[in-house]
Amino acid sequence: MRWFETPDFNFIKAHKIGYVISGILLVAALIGIFTKGLQYGIDFKGGKEFVLEFDEPIEVVELRSALSEPLGSTPVVKRFGSPTDVLIRTDNEGDITEVQNTILEVVNQRYSQNEASVIKTDIVGARFAEDLKQGAMNAIIFALVVIFIYILIRFKNWTFSAGAVAALFHDVLIVVGIFTIFGEIAPFSMQIDQSIIAAFLTIVGYSLNDTVVVFDRIRENSLLYKTMDYDKMVNKSLNDTLSRTVITSVTTLFVVTVLFIFGGEVLKGFSFALMLGVIIGTYSSLFVASSMVVELQRRKENA
Amino acid sequence: MQGNGTKIVAIAAFLIISIYYLWPTLANTLEQNYIEDLPEAERVEYKEENTQRLQELRQNSLSLGLDLQGGMHVTMEVGTAKLLRELAGSNADSTLNNVIKIAQKQAIENDTDFIDEMVSEFEERYPDGRLSRYYRSEAENITRRSSNEEIVKYLKKQRDSAVDRAMEIIRTRVDRYGVTEPAIFKQGNSRVVVELPGVANKSRIRDLLKGTARLEFRLVGQPDQISSAKERIVSYYNQQAQSDTSDSVQQGRQQNPLLEVLNPRGRNPYSVGYSTGRDTARVNELLQKQEVQELIPRSLTLMWGATPFQTTEQGQELFELIAVRSDVEMTGDVISEASVNFDQTTNQPRVSMNMNAEGARRWARITGANIGKPIAIVLDGYVYSYPNVETKISDGRSSISGIGDVREAEDLVNILLSGALPAPLEIIEERTVGATLGEESIQAGFYSTLIGLVIVALFMIAYYHSGGAIADLALMLNIVFILGILAAFKATLTLPGIAGIVLTIGMAVDANVLIFDRIREEKRTGKTLRAAIEGGYSNAMSAIVDANVTTFFVGIILYSFGVGPIKGFAVTLMAGIVASLFSAIVITRVVVDYLTREKSAEISFG
Repeated sequence: MRWFETPDFNFIKAHKIGYVISGILLVAALIGIFTKGLQYGIDFKGGKEFVLEFDEPIEVVELRSALSEPLGSTPVVKRFGSPTDVLIRTDNEGDITEVQNTILEVVNQRYSQNEASVIKTDIVGARFAEDLKQGAMNAIIFALVVIFIYILIRFKNWTFSAGAVAALFHDVLIVVGIFTIFGEIAPFSMQIDQSIIAAFLTIVGYSLNDTVVVFDRIRENSLLYKTMDYDKMVNKSLNDTLSRTVITSVTTLFVVTVLFIFGGEVLKGFSFALMLGVIIGTYSSLFVASSMVVELQRRKENA
Repeated sequence: MQGNGTKIVAIAAFLIISIYYLWPTLANTLEQNYIEDLPEAERVEYKEENTQRLQELRQNSLSLGLDLQGGMHVTMEVGTAKLLRELAGSNADSTLNNVIKIAQKQAIENDTDFIDEMVSEFEERYPDGRLSRYYRSEAENITRRSSNEEIVKYLKKQRDSAVDRAMEIIRTRVDRYGVTEPAIFKQGNSRVVVELPGVANKSRIRDLLKGTARLEFRLVGQPDQISSAKERIVSYYNQQAQSDTSDSVQQGRQQNPLLEVLNPRGRNPYSVGYSTGRDTARVNELLQKQEVQELIPRSLTLMWGATPFQTTEQGQELFELIAVRSDVEMTGDVISEASVNFDQTTNQPRVSMNMNAEGARRWARITGANIGKPIAIVLDGYVYSYPNVETKISDGRSSISGIGDVREAEDLVNILLSGALPAPLEIIEERTVGATLGEESIQAGFYSTLIGLVIVALFMIAYYHSGGAIADLALMLNIVFILGILAAFKATLTLPGIAGIVLTIGMAVDANVLIFDRIREEKRTGKTLRAAIEGGYSNAMSAIVDANVTTFFVGIILYSFGVGPIKGFAVTLMAGIVASLFSAIVITRVVVDYLTREKSAEISFG
């Protein structure tokens, strides 16, 4: 089997189409983020989350309205994977034990024939959540700075650094946008929490992986084909590495899809972010990062 | 074959080391399966006979995170604000309280140290001010003349020791409760993390962890002082009600907001009144107002009774609000023994306490001086009882009554004996996972790994033929290496950690993809297979290194920022990079070289 044996796609010429697609996606993501705000999960917002397992399936709408009054505000009640499991999220600031007892009392009264047990709880104080958020923010900023510097050192050219970091921003922003816009209608949690941040950083690592391989080839080709036009040479490099880019993306996409399907409810949001990240990361290494380098290089030379 | 000698040795060494570290995990799993298959009676016997060996195996096994084995993870914070206020004692004034309050907010916003923030806030407000106004300690040589720097050092030391002591006390309590293999460690400068595998009764553990067990003996207030303070507060809210016209007009009647929730008829001269359990929070809120606090003499403190004195016919529980003296006569650190027994008349559980010699002496003096008057027994800010002193008590005995049930009494004894926490602990994060959910997660992780592995392996063979098969061999060894690295570094396997392994399976082939693609390219230029292989490996190297170093950086950053399961993910990600680099570059090279050189076999790269 051979894919892209000697491909000759004109990626650089197609960069305008790439910019349009990326532009639309980015604008949509930004509109989503600015109008709806980032949908923080319990890790970054604080609150109490309980996952109850019932013997028989139950109706979430009914449970939600039954809990609203005793908890003092309408809780989020969602399915947690199987129809017998529900997730209850409340911002009630009372004592943990009391809140849990309130929930169990209501549940036991209403579903006396259907026994429920708490299988998972996550309780995060508001101040601790603030700390976690700060930590996540620092991690992302720090990661981008380190990557910028590393590429600068290895490729000795700031346009490469800028292209790589721009592509990373592009990838993460679009995934965040998708999470923000579709969070409410998704059948699993798409809130931004610690594991999603971990997924973002992994996307950063992955997308960079792709980008760096292409850059490496640009570096090599720039020595081999000194007389070739810069954009042609970059385009050749993209084509040279295309087979590898696609194969690695395919194998990675295989495993994250397996994780998404078989990894259990806890990993759903995480693996979904990775799925999106692999697709968008591959696209951006082909259409965004290198085009940026060509563009920046041209400006640098004309300046 | 000359050049590959070292490589083969390295592979063998890496493999042997991995298996060496994984051996206890394997043996432990086999043992557990064996034990489970034994009949009930033999099981206990077998466990007893092999306690030590089994324990050693378990300790050296790859440990599972709480999200996989089920259990409770709690992060607690030592109340630095309260500690700072308490260390100042009676020197604390509104200035200090304000500074502490602001510093607390700023410390969170700027992610800085609370104590540093407090000092800079204080110095900003009072450029010539000295903290020695508030803090003195003979033992630490902190006097009126101590500089602010010295005091910061002293305060930080106090906080450190408070955290250390809190950890010690928590360890004692958890051990007494009977949790196997708890992990208790410090996080940052004021946090304590407690990990309790297999814990089911969460609320009991919570109380056990938080219980400061600050036991105090206090005199009650003077009746005339109490009644006049009460009058002043009630009339203050009467005026409030009259001046407030907003909603009272519609109600047609002006209501005193305090009397709505507090019945002022005390059962005795020491009681300010009573409320239903639900209203106590509202009463506290009304009494906390600055203007109201000023109406209460400094010598008095209002506290709720710990248990209801009566339950109405409607099932509402009534709690009394009692005025005790602000001065503490004696604290619980004099308690040397405590045990649960039952009150002979009411048959209620109670905790009997014995005091040490010094405590007994003081207790005798206090009781002797207050015959006929009540003494309140206060635990964590709630009055458990305030019995009248009948005679002078000289044997150092005392008891706490008004306790819910026997279990609560037992926990109270545990808390009292492990000692009082030096500062209150607040639970700021709690995560629990049930054992069944953990088992499901292990299974989900296992299947994901297996399915991912099979799909990727088949794909590689389909695309790269025999080259792919060699990469697959490396991939299998890769997983052994990752687990070996995890076991060697005593890392904990979490669900995100397993996800990291699955992800690595997909990404690990990347290095081989890079190499194989390069070999194909080299072959296209007309090189022989040997030359193409040579060129493929050497030319792909720089891309492989750069791509993996950057991902490794991300792993390090994730590890240093992440907590709990995320750390597990970062660890497997990093272990995966190291292992896959090794297996892709070294192992496949050795196999490819062997096959082409020794066997002169024709390897196809598709």
